[in-house]
Amino acid sequence: MSTENYVEEKPKKLKEIRKEAEERACPVQQMEYFIDEFLAKPMCGKCYPCALGAGEAQIRVASLASRGAEVDGRDLDLLRRIGDNMVRGSLCKRGKDTGNFILELLENSRDEIMEHVHADRSCPTRECKSLVRYEIVPELCTMCGECKKACSYNSIMGETRKPYFTGYQPFEIRLKRCTGCGECVDVCPEGAIVFKSRSRKEANSQDTGGLNG
Amino acid sequence: MGKLLKLRIDGQDVQAPAGTNLIDAAEMAGVHIPNLCYLKGMKGIGACRMCLVEVEGLKAPVIACNTRVKQDMVVHTRTERVQEIRRFVIDLILSMHPLDCVTCTKSGVCNLQEYAYEFGLRESSFSRKKFTYPVDDGNPFVKRDPAYCILCGRCVRVCKEQGTNVLDFMGRGIESKVITANDMPLHESGCTFCGSCVDVCPVSALREADREQKGREWEFSRYESVCMLCGCGCDITVSIKGDMIQKINAGNRAPSTEQKFICAYGRFGYEHVDGGKRILAPMVRKGGRLQEVSMKDALEDLAGRLKKAGKNAGFISTASILNEDALSLQRFAEEVVKTPNIDSTASLYARPEEFQKSQKAKMDKADLIVLVGINPSQWTRVLPALDVAVRRRLSRKGRLITINSQETGLADLAELNLSGDEIQAIQGIIKSVPDHGIKVDQSLMKHVQEASTDKNMQQAAEIFAGSSSPLIISDPAFFDAASSLAGIKGHAIAMPLESNAHGVVRMGLKTRGASIQDMAAIEHGLVQRGKSTVKLLYAVGDVPLSKKPDGVDFLVVQSSSLTGLAGEADMVLPAATYLESSGSMVDYLGELKTMEQTIEPRGASKTHRDIFIQLAKNMGVTLKKPPFSEIKKAAGSQAGPSMADMSRKEGFQETPESYLQALNAPVLETSRLLWLKESGLV
Repeated sequence: MSTENYVEEKPKKLKEIRKEAEERACPVQQMEYFIDEFLAKPMCGKCYPCALGAGEAQIRVASLASRGAEVDGRDLDLLRRIGDNMVRGSLCKRGKDTGNFILELLENSRDEIMEHVHADRSCPTRECKSLVRYEIVPELCTMCGECKKACSYNSIMGETRKPYFTGYQPFEIRLKRCTGCGECVDVCPEGAIVFKSRSRKEANSQDTGGLNG
Repeated sequence: MGKLLKLRIDGQDVQAPAGTNLIDAAEMAGVHIPNLCYLKGMKGIGACRMCLVEVEGLKAPVIACNTRVKQDMVVHTRTERVQEIRRFVIDLILSMHPLDCVTCTKSGVCNLQEYAYEFGLRESSFSRKKFTYPVDDGNPFVKRDPAYCILCGRCVRVCKEQGTNVLDFMGRGIESKVITANDMPLHESGCTFCGSCVDVCPVSALREADREQKGREWEFSRYESVCMLCGCGCDITVSIKGDMIQKINAGNRAPSTEQKFICAYGRFGYEHVDGGKRILAPMVRKGGRLQEVSMKDALEDLAGRLKKAGKNAGFISTASILNEDALSLQRFAEEVVKTPNIDSTASLYARPEEFQKSQKAKMDKADLIVLVGINPSQWTRVLPALDVAVRRRLSRKGRLITINSQETGLADLAELNLSGDEIQAIQGIIKSVPDHGIKVDQSLMKHVQEASTDKNMQQAAEIFAGSSSPLIISDPAFFDAASSLAGIKGHAIAMPLESNAHGVVRMGLKTRGASIQDMAAIEHGLVQRGKSTVKLLYAVGDVPLSKKPDGVDFLVVQSSSLTGLAGEADMVLPAATYLESSGSMVDYLGELKTMEQTIEPRGASKTHRDIFIQLAKNMGVTLKKPPFSEIKKAAGSQAGPSMADMSRKEGFQETPESYLQALNAPVLETSRLLWLKESGLV
C-alpha cells in the first residue's frame, strides 16, 4: 500500500462526510456517497482491509444502485463481511468508522435496502435514479410524441398521432433501454408518465434474500 | 541482543531476546505467522493485516510485525477472529490477482498461493478486478508484471532502503500501482538491476526476465556459495536444475538480517560458466597456435618444465581464488617447485600485510562508519554491496563520516565529509580525540604531533569519541592511518577490490621473492613494460593482464576464461570457476565463509588445487588437499595493528572501476551483462 499520504488540500473529515451522506433518504445512496467520498480523499491506502475492502464495497454498492447489475442477497452478505472486517482489521479509526457506517445502514435500513435487491428492483425513495422505472398511463397518453423527442436513449416506442388517422396505440417505455433519467416526465403535457411501482402485496411474496441470513 | 524473555505462542514456550518482534519470535518456535508485507530486519508497517494476532489481556488483535516480545506474554496466532481477517484479506487480493498458478513461476514459493491454500480459496468471492497494465520486459534482467502485484510494498521499501530508489507507489487503494519515475521502463529509470526487488516479491510481479519455463521452484537443488566477482564477497544461493544454474538469489539460510544484497553481476553473471570464452580443455601452443591436448600430456610436460625451472619459476594469482586453492598453490610453489617467487594481484593495489592486519568486524554492530579513501557505488559498480550495506546501516541506525580526497557518492549521506588529504585528516582527528575525553596512547600521539587540525576534524573527532563501536573501512593505501584510529576505539577494515584478498594473503600468497610487478613486468597499474625476472610464469585465475611479459620463456595460464593473457600463453590449463568448486573464502569483514560446489566443472576443467596436486604427483611429491582445520587456522591469523608511519602507499594507478572491469571482463562479455555494456549502463 502507498506509504505516503498525499495531503494537498485537507481531506474531509469522516463526520462531515457522514453528515452529507445522511442528507440523502435512501440508505443505498447514503452508503454509496459515503464510500465514494471516503475513497476520494480521506482513505490513506495504508492497509489492506480498508483500502481493498472499501474498493470492493464501492463496486457492490454501485451495483445495488444500478439497474444493469445483477444483485442478490449475497451482495448484502459480502457488504456485511467487508464492514465487519474493516471494523476489526483496519489500521486506523477511519477504516473502522467506514466499516461501522456500512454495518449500521445494513442493520437499520434493512427493508429499504432489500427493495433494491428483490427481483423487481426499485428504490423506495426514488433516489437511485437507475432503479426508478416509469410507465405511460395509456388512458392519458395523447400520442403527441414530445416524450419520444426528448428521450436521449431512444427508449420510447410509439407512433406520433396524425389528426386525420385513427387506430393509434398509446406510447410505451422500453424498460431495458430506459435509464430513469426522467426527461420524458418533464416534457409530457398530459402528465401521463408516472412511476411504475410494485404493489406491496407482490413485494411480500418475494423471498427476503440475504438480510435474514 | 537484549536479555532473553519468556513467552508462550500457541501453547509453545519460546525464549526470545528483548526487542524481537512476534513474527521472528514465533519463527523460533516453529510457528509461522502469515504476513505479506513484512521484511525481516526492517520495521513492520502493518499494511497487510495478515499478521494480526491475539494477545491475552488485550482487547483488540495486534500486528505481530510491529509488536515486541514481552515477558510472560501469551499469544494466539490462529483464533477464529484473526483467521477471518486473514481469509478476508486473501479473498480480496485474489479478486485482483491472475489465478494462473498452473503456469506461474512462483508456484510453490508464492505466499499468496500458500495462504489461499490454507484457507481453501479457489477463487475470490468478490468481484473480479482486472487491470491492464503493460509488462515491463525491456531489459534482460528483471521483468515487471504489475498484473500480479498485490501492493505489499516490499520492493518499494527495499529499493528505497538500499538507496537505489527507483520504485514507488502511484495512487491509493485498489488502483495503486508500483511505478518508476514517470512510469518509465526499468532500463530508463536509473535501475541498476541488482534484483533485490525480485528477491522480496512474494508473488510473481517481479521476477528474473528469463525465469519462465526454467523449472518449478521445487525442482531446484539449492546450494550456498559466495560471489567472488568483487571485494564484497556476498552470500548467494544458487538454484540448480540439470547441472545448469537456473538462478542466483541473495543471501543464504543463515539467520542474519544484514547483507541480503547482490548486484547484477553476482545475480546474472553466472552464464559465463557456459560462455563463449570458457576454456574447456588444456591447450598447448604449437606452431604459433593454441591446440587442444589431453590433460595428462599437458601436466606431464608442465611437470618437467617446472622441475627444470626451479627458482626461475614464478607464480602469480588473482586474489579471487578460494582459500584451498591459495594454500595448495603456496605449498606447491614452496615445497614442490621450491621457488620463493609467488604473489597475488592483491599486491597490485595494496601491501598484502595490510589485509592481514585488517580486523574482524560486524556491520550490524557498528554505530559509526568511517569510509576512508573509498568510493563504493551501485551505479559505477564499484563494491556495490558495500554501498548498500552502508546505506542500510544508516537507515536503521548509525552515522557516517567520509574521508576522501575525491568526490564520493556516499558523502551526501554522511554527517560529515572531510575532503582533502586522507592521512592528514585522520592524523588531525587522532590529535583532536583527547579533547573529547578519550585517552589516547602516548606512542600514537607522538606520530600526530606535527599534524594540524581544523574545525571539521575536530567535529569528526567529537563524533568518533561519542560512538561506542566505530567501524573504519579504508582503502588499503591508507590502512596504517585507519588502523591507528581504530587503535583508539573500534575496528579497521582494509577494503579489497577482489573477493578473497584477505583469504589468499592469510594463506601465504603474498610477496616473498619476486613481486607480481617484477614477474609480470608491470610498470604501474596494469601497464606492462620492461623485462620479467622469471623464466617460467605461471598465472592462476583470470589475471587481468594482456601481455606475455618480455623475458618469460614459457607462460602457463590456468584459468576458466580465455583472457588476454591466456591468448598469449604457451600452455593453457582449464580451471573450475568459483561456482564449480567447494571451499572457503574470507570476506572483507574477516568472516570465513564456506562455499558449496553448485555444478560440475565444465569440460576437462578442474579446481586449481586438483591441478596442483596432480602436478606435484607428476613431480614425485605428494601434496595433500589442505584440510579445513588448517584453512580455519590460517584464516584466523591476525597481525597486530601497526602504528608505524602513517604514509600513503602509492603505486597503483588504476581506478577501481577500470580494475574491476578488467578483472570481470570475461563475466561481463559472456553473459547477459553484455547488454549493460552495450546499453552504456556499465
